[in-house]
Parts: sequence; structure tokens; C-alpha cells
Amino acid sequence: MNKRDQKELMVFLGMIGPGLLVYLFIVAYPILYSAWLSFTDFNPNSGGDWSFVGLLQYKTMVEDPNFWHAFKNNMIVVAVSAFGQIPIGFVLAYILFRNRVKWGHFFQAMVFLPQFLSTIVIGILWKRMFAADGPASRIIQIFSGDPSRQFDLMLKADTVMYPIGFALIWMYTGFYMLIFLANLQKIDKSMVEAAKIDGATEPQIFTRIIMPLMTGAILVSAILAIAGSLKGFDLIFAMTTQGLQRNNAMVLPIFMYQTAFQDYRNPMRFAYGSAISNAIVIISMVMILFSNWVGSKFNAGEDY
Amino acid sequence: MSTKEVSKSSIGSAVGTTLSYIVFVTWTLITIVPLIWMLYSSFKSNEELTRDIYALPYDMLNNMDDEYTVIAPSLNLVYDYNPRQDKRERLIIESTTIAPGRRMMVHFLLKEDLPSEIASRQPGDTVVIGELPRRLRREIHWKTVWFNYRSAISRAKLGGKFINSLIYAGVSTFLIIILGSMIAFGVSKMRFKKLSAVVIGLIGLGYLISINSVIIPLFLMLTSVGLTDTHVGIIMVYTAFGLPLAVMLSSQFMRGLPNSLIESAYIDGATTFRTFWSIILPMTVPVIITISILSALGIWNEFLLVLVLASSDATKSLPVGVFSFSSLTSTQLGWQLAALVIATAPAMAVYFSFNKQITKGVVAGAVKG
Repeated sequence: MNKRDQKELMVFLGMIGPGLLVYLFIVAYPILYSAWLSFTDFNPNSGGDWSFVGLLQYKTMVEDPNFWHAFKNNMIVVAVSAFGQIPIGFVLAYILFRNRVKWGHFFQAMVFLPQFLSTIVIGILWKRMFAADGPASRIIQIFSGDPSRQFDLMLKADTVMYPIGFALIWMYTGFYMLIFLANLQKIDKSMVEAAKIDGATEPQIFTRIIMPLMTGAILVSAILAIAGSLKGFDLIFAMTTQGLQRNNAMVLPIFMYQTAFQDYRNPMRFAYGSAISNAIVIISMVMILFSNWVGSKFNAGEDY
Repeated sequence: MSTKEVSKSSIGSAVGTTLSYIVFVTWTLITIVPLIWMLYSSFKSNEELTRDIYALPYDMLNNMDDEYTVIAPSLNLVYDYNPRQDKRERLIIESTTIAPGRRMMVHFLLKEDLPSEIASRQPGDTVVIGELPRRLRREIHWKTVWFNYRSAISRAKLGGKFINSLIYAGVSTFLIIILGSMIAFGVSKMRFKKLSAVVIGLIGLGYLISINSVIIPLFLMLTSVGLTDTHVGIIMVYTAFGLPLAVMLSSQFMRGLPNSLIESAYIDGATTFRTFWSIILPMTVPVIITISILSALGIWNEFLLVLVLASSDATKSLPVGVFSFSSLTSTQLGWQLAALVIATAPAMAVYFSFNKQITKGVVAGAVKG
């Protein structure tokens, strides 16, 4: 390596160095730290004593009924995203794409709006909307004619996920609509026109032309939905009150937060919490690989 | 094509169009009605909200005939002036319609501004707003209209938290842009291909990891270097987690810029950094706008990091402030709604003024991810 090369390498390192250092220190190092932590019994209550305990934390986790409760709720959230947000988003995008409504841009902006508001604020808003004396109760009272009826789904363990699911759909559908719309607009319109001239009906155009071209976008959306649902913390945290209600609606990130930052008596709270957050990352990777596999099955033999 | 078929398909399409409108109008209403309710209800007193949760605000906007009671000084009053320095005599009056008896809607009128007949009234006596001098009437009018907002701002100390949020979003976004585009320039316009591929790979991993998934090690690390509960610590984390998106979007854009630009700059004797700063960076502005909007809004709305790291009012951000305010004052619905409006209004203003760029940016950011 001659002198000029060396000098250029220094300049190169000078360009990428500052950002890369911050990145490595704040993003890359904690990943390793978290992996290490989950194999120890790190004790913050006694000044950080630790020793390797192998898979103890993961063993505790799979034997913890709270973990499976949070896992089940998290799967509900994933299902709401995959089978609620994505199909509704697709329908809305398709309507916009076929120019079936005037003021398409206005509608698009309105449906997408919640994405840009703070999830915490939206969570608090929905908590108020669904409160026992809130607007949702009032609607029930008006329609049932019974002034003492209340909206009590948020208060029962087996129904709490319904209003939360509704709020999730409200919040994120616009995002998927936008992704589908962007992908639909890439489709060559002359193909649709040609099919029309050949006498294809609307349903035929949809199933034979549009859908095959959209499998890629659906897959991307599914991946985003899975990753987003598994790390989503804010909305459910804000919609529920600390204690029984939040425990009923517990999802994995909230379980992790409560374990690590609120359960002060547990001497292994950080180690156990790390095991949970590593499990979240692993679960989402497995699910993403699975949906990739499903996607490739669907796409087999269809090359565009 | 026969006429029969045409009419059949046009009926079909009319049904389709109607259905399309129904779907969109319904969805738009579901989206904005709660937000509109939040906005107008933030001008209602608690009493009005209890009476009818849907009615339009009335009491606080039409307050010219409100009755007030003169009250004696007591310990649970929150003064809007400094009673230790300002010793002028005041008449303390409390509303009989808005939060009566709870010492929330209270005015401290200077006796020197009042006609002597009113100034001499004793605790328990009634004062009607209409009998006050014009200037005081106006002042009380505006204070009443903005009652929820004034209370939310002063009791939750939302002003300082608003500024914190601005600092976090502003400074972090600035650093993300600078550091991110420097890396992007290095990997896309300099000739160390293998090293660049490694850097891109490392940074691409960042897409899989969010702040939520490494919050525990981040907390322990920042505690050990004493950076929890500081602006610096929080900004560092936001900057690092904003880099992947910035590097991906801007390196992709820079790759499309012609190399001849850089070569001619070198021939003219410009240094690499100078070339980057004065030639490449200005050309990257469209992408920089996209990255800025996405990063700044993401940071503005972020919650968990500040919840875990910030323990004092000096470092808390707006979402955390609004959240703890709403848990503490769950009976004061009007105040909470005002706090929610304060937290959403800036994001909404940005959203409606940059709608096109945001739409494009979100799609670009999501699809690359």
C-alpha cells in the first residue's frame, strides 16, 4: 500500500468513522451485551455480581405462565395486523388505484394521519374513548336505549384485546394502504387496459393481473406487520392502567419492561428481561423467515 | 359488445363506485371523528363533559355572565404571581360553574383595579363577571377559554417538555443527517469497496433491532457512564438508531450522482471533505428532507427510551410528560384532552404542510427496510 492509498484510507475512515463509532457503541455492542446478559444471573441489587448460568433464564421464561399469556396476546396483535390492517389497507389502496372515488388525495391523507401522531397520545385518547363513562359507552346507551349500559370490554380479561385490536387497526391501516398504493401505481396500466379490451371483468382483472403482481408487496407488508407487532409497546401500554388491566392485555415488550424495570425485588430482573427481549427478536425472525417461505411457495413459477 | 352487456357492466361499476365511497367515507370518519372530538372537547369543562360527552363546548366560551364567589386565602391555592414579593391587596374569586369548590378556577384581582364597592366584598359574597371593568372582563374571558390548556401546561410543566422534545428531535436529526450522509458518501463514492460492503452490512443489521429490543443493555451501559437522565445520552441513542435509515436512503441516492462531479472537484484541488460538503451534500437535499421528516417525527413520538432513561422533569419529553400527567389526573378529563391536543398539534401541522414528501418518504423508508 503506497502513501497515497494510505492517505485516502485515512480520509475514508474519517468520513465513516464518527457515525460508525456511535453506531457500534449504541446499537451493535448492546446486542452482544444483551446476548451475554441473558446467559448470566447478573444481580443489580448486589452491585452487579454475575456468573454464567447457561440457559437458566430461558428455562424460567418457558416455564413462566406470564410469558405464554403475553405471547398469546402478541400473536393476537400479529393476527390483527396480518388479517385486519393488511386486507383493509389493500382494499382502500385498490379503490384509490382504480380512481373509484373523487378527492382520492384527501381520503389518503386522512386515513394515513394516525400514523403520524404519537402512539402514546393515541393510546391515551382511545383509553378515554373506551372508558366506562366515555364516548363509546354513550353510543351503546343511545343505541340500546338503556342509560346504564357501559362499554366494559376493556375491563374483562377475555375481551380486552377487542378494543385494543380496533385501536391497532385504526392506527396502522393507513400505513399499509400507502405501501400497497405505491406498489399498485408501479403496475403498467396498459396491461389493465388490454385486459379490459379483451373483455375481462373487474374481478378477473383483480385476481388474474393485480394479485399476482402484488404478492411481493403483501410479503413486505407481512414482514413489517410481524416485526412491528412484536416490538409494539406504546399503544397497549397507554391504553391500559397499570395493574390487572395491563396484565390482562400484556404483550411481550410490556412483559419485558415490567420484568426489567418494575420488578425491583427480582435480583435477576435484567438478565431475565434480556432473555425475554432476545426471545422477541428470535420469534420475529422465525416468523419473518416463515412468511418468506410462504411467499416463495406462492410465487413459484411466476416471474414478472 | 352488445348493449345489454354495457348496461350490466355500468350498473356493476355504479355499485362498485357507491361501495367505494361508502368504504372511504366510513373509514375517514372513523379516523377523524375521535380526533375532532378530542379537539373540541378540550374546550369543555369537566362538568360539561360529565353532563354530555358529545355536546359542543359552551360554558367556557360563554363566560361573560359567570358567577364567582369571593374566597379567603387558603393553602391549596396555586398563585399565578409571587405572593412573597407582590404584597398588593387582591380579591380572590372562584368560579361557581367550573370546578366549584376545588380551588382550580381562581382569579386574583388587584383591588386597585376594582371599583371600591366590589373591592370591599367579603369571602362568601358573589361577583358577577359582567360587573367587572372591561379590561378584567376580557382577561378573565381568555383565561377561562384556555383554562384546560393553562392548567395542563402549568401543572404538567409541558412547556419545558415541549422544548426537550424539540431538542431531541432537532439535534438528533441534525446529527443523523451529518453522520449518516458522511458514511453514505464514504461507502458510495470512495473506492474501498470491500470495507464499504462490511460497513453497509453492519448498518443494515440495525434494521432488525429497535430501541425496544436493547433497552436493558442501553440502560445499564448509560448508567455505568453516568449518561442516564441527560440530554446527551438520549440524543446519542436516537442518533445511533436513526443512522441505518439515513445511510441506506442517502447512499442509494448518492450512487446515482455522476462520478465526474467528484473527479472535477479533485482536479480543482478540493479535499474529499470539501467535495462532500459543498458539492454532494447540497445535491442530496431531496433525500435529506425525507430522512429529516421521518427521523424527526419518529423521535418526536418515541416513548420507551425516555420513559426508562429520564427520571427528572428536566429531561422528560412530551409523550412521557403527557402520559404521566394523564395517569396522575385521571379525573380531570378536560385537562388531559388539552394535553393530548398540545402533543398532537405540532405533528399534525407538519403532516399537513409536508404531506407529499412524507407520503413519498414513508414508502421509500418502508420498502427499503
